[in-house]
Amino acid sequence: MAATLTGSDTGFRDDLVRLLGPERVMDSTLERHVYAKDAGVYRGNPTVVVMTENTEEVAQVVRAARRHGIPVVARGAGTGLSAGAVPEVGGVVLVTTRMNRIEEIDAENRTAWVGPGVINLDLSHATTPHGMHFAPDPSSQSACTVGGNIACNSGGPHCLSEGSTVNHILALEVVTDTGEVMVVGSGAPDPIGLDLRGIIVGSEGTLGIVTRALVKLTPNPPDVRTMGVAFPTIEEAAATVSGIIAAGLIPAALEMMDQLMMQAIENWLHAGLPVDAGALLLAEVTGVTEAVEAEAEIITRIAHENNALSVQVAATPEEREILWKSRKSAFGAVAQAAPDYYLHDTVVPRTRLVEAMRQVYEIGQRYEITMMNVFHAGDGNLHPLMAFDASEPGRLDQVKAAADELVELCVEKGGVLSGEHGIGIEKRHLMPLLFTEMDLDAQARVKEAFDAEGVFNPGKVLPEGSRCFDFGRPVPEGAWV
Amino acid sequence: MKTGFGAIPAADISADRAIPPAEVALAPTTLEEASEALRIATEQRMKVLIWGGGNHQGYGHRVHPDMVLITTSLNRIEVWEPEDLTIVAEAGARISKLEEMLARNRQTTLLPHDSPTATIGGALAAGLSSYMRFRYGPTRDRVLETKVVTGDGRIVRSGGRVVKNVTGYDIPRLMVGALGRMGLIGSVCLKLIPTPEATATVTVEDPAAALAALHRPLAVLSTPSGHSVFLWGTQAEVESQAGRLGGEIASGHAWPPDPSGRVTWSLRLPPSRLSEGLERLPDSWDYVAQQGVGITECAAEQVEIAAAEELRGWAESVGGALVLTNGPEILYERIDPWGTPPEGLEYQRKLVAGFDPYRVLGSGRLPGGI
Repeated sequence: MAATLTGSDTGFRDDLVRLLGPERVMDSTLERHVYAKDAGVYRGNPTVVVMTENTEEVAQVVRAARRHGIPVVARGAGTGLSAGAVPEVGGVVLVTTRMNRIEEIDAENRTAWVGPGVINLDLSHATTPHGMHFAPDPSSQSACTVGGNIACNSGGPHCLSEGSTVNHILALEVVTDTGEVMVVGSGAPDPIGLDLRGIIVGSEGTLGIVTRALVKLTPNPPDVRTMGVAFPTIEEAAATVSGIIAAGLIPAALEMMDQLMMQAIENWLHAGLPVDAGALLLAEVTGVTEAVEAEAEIITRIAHENNALSVQVAATPEEREILWKSRKSAFGAVAQAAPDYYLHDTVVPRTRLVEAMRQVYEIGQRYEITMMNVFHAGDGNLHPLMAFDASEPGRLDQVKAAADELVELCVEKGGVLSGEHGIGIEKRHLMPLLFTEMDLDAQARVKEAFDAEGVFNPGKVLPEGSRCFDFGRPVPEGAWV
Repeated sequence: MKTGFGAIPAADISADRAIPPAEVALAPTTLEEASEALRIATEQRMKVLIWGGGNHQGYGHRVHPDMVLITTSLNRIEVWEPEDLTIVAEAGARISKLEEMLARNRQTTLLPHDSPTATIGGALAAGLSSYMRFRYGPTRDRVLETKVVTGDGRIVRSGGRVVKNVTGYDIPRLMVGALGRMGLIGSVCLKLIPTPEATATVTVEDPAAALAALHRPLAVLSTPSGHSVFLWGTQAEVESQAGRLGGEIASGHAWPPDPSGRVTWSLRLPPSRLSEGLERLPDSWDYVAQQGVGITECAAEQVEIAAAEELRGWAESVGGALVLTNGPEILYERIDPWGTPPEGLEYQRKLVAGFDPYRVLGSGRLPGGI
């Protein structure tokens, strides 16, 4: 990889103040502290923080940063969990939250041009009058930004049927490494040439900075059935998930939580969760009434075949709301169990769910860490949550070691490192578990094509030294081609 | 040239499709053999054309190859996990064979398989999606993992065999529509879709009214002879949706044949402009238009350059494209098959350079001569 650009430069600060005015250039100790981390456990050290308001300002900041040899780390609401927006080696943190205009909703084409700072849920609220919504729905959707969703290719419960963010982004306006502006993708299907849009989504701010996005909107379903199904054990809940998929159904969402997690949520939310059960499966089907009725019936039958203790179908929108609220506020509920938590994100093939869960608990026991689980069962996306107290000496290191073991077990089962949080700093050292040196080299070439000088978010996604082959042979150290 | 595996005279392989004349045609049986062939090609700076079933070679600028690399011996089904709804197959496998097998478990790749010889790799390289994309999105959204052989012979795996994954850059997605410029697609893992129990085709008078009346039908297609709505789902769902339309209902899917004509074009428009696009088509052109999607596949007997240029000018002015997808060789010299290249061309060029540094893999084929 190209040499990392570091260093602070007072001339750079002057340039930023000239461009943005003094209020939007922040470098007090407190401000730098606030923007040093995201919602995960890693902390960086920003040189300076800027709030940009439009594309031209982003382009100017990038040009100035490049001139002064200072890296640029884009940041939305900071709800990321893999340290993708953590300025590890210093640099300018470019905050996009003020670029929050929903510019144009095109109801006929079911699209909208939006700024990267638009909050995910605000977009769905704004499109409700048109009978549409933005399908990606991460649990943080009331706070996270569309720009952050694009950077991480975020998921959420409903990406089981609708796919992750990348499926819902048609075009992007991007500020490139040279500080120029390009639009990739199109409102028309199958734009010609390579799919730059598709590679930029999920690239965690390492290839360019997204300044506007053309998002695809999804029609709201005419009807919905949301069901909470209690099971004696996780195994029976997981067998039900497999049974549903094997029956040819892809519900809108299939979420699961274990007993510990249910108890934590119930203590906090009093949602009436079946806390005596071993697991709760949250299933939702959407579509025309006839379809959701038939599908709910199939799910109920399969659940009973797998010893369901109870099947509760939400009878009112309020009941549905409380079921979803219990799911999406799970991580807030954990605060009562321990002062800190580490929320993990890995994936296994969905048929390996039960054995993976068993080993998750084993790891928890071995490290004496409380493992609580709430996860996207339908697509095999696990979210073990480790509750701990970071003030205990050495505890965080133990938690990180347990986290690595969780990833290793998922990879052994044919899974991957991350389903929706991204790699960032958190998992880059684990990339060699999944990829050979040659595979990683190819990924480093993607980075090099967009940002050879390492202006954007240096050090993220790929482990150091990934760019190491030429013509299929290792390159001697120092001989960059 | 010497290789450890069979160098096959091109004429022996091409029975029904015209493989262009080349110094050598090779049919590797493993990725390692393909890698060896591409190393040789790179060392000797040969121009390579990748050839699957030969169905979509009309896409892109013409390539006059020194070597044709035939993929149809790379045709193993590696892993099929019906309960995971995923399949891993080598890219030279025929889609028709694969679909036959998947149908036994009521599953599908949703890849178009109107031609019996079309291969997975060919469909992916050309970026093709079936008409069912209106409901399920384009093929690109279902390519989970790829193993490709780069122009200089590196075997690179990217993505993963699970339905949800953000581990590293999404190179598999980049392979779709790249016409082999990013590497020979050796094997892929695809996400499968379960096939529901009931299907129906309903003929309608007004496609816009049909789109408004239904919640996410499978497809709404228009041809010169009329409009049809395609449905699938549970019996109750299909019956209720079909009933809402009030047209003539037939069970099963009566997909229209591909538009006929020796010159074929793909008109790609924002969905709201599709009707206007159809009005602008020359009268003699046959077509299948995908309502709600914005794609119209067109075919003409004649090479109508002036008409095509006029249509393309309008399509580009509304954010779309008119792409030449097949026609006589001479046509490619007289009109750019792609039209105006997209923005970000220098980044496309640099990406390709990382995967094919010596420009052996069908160089020049993509928009902007990349």
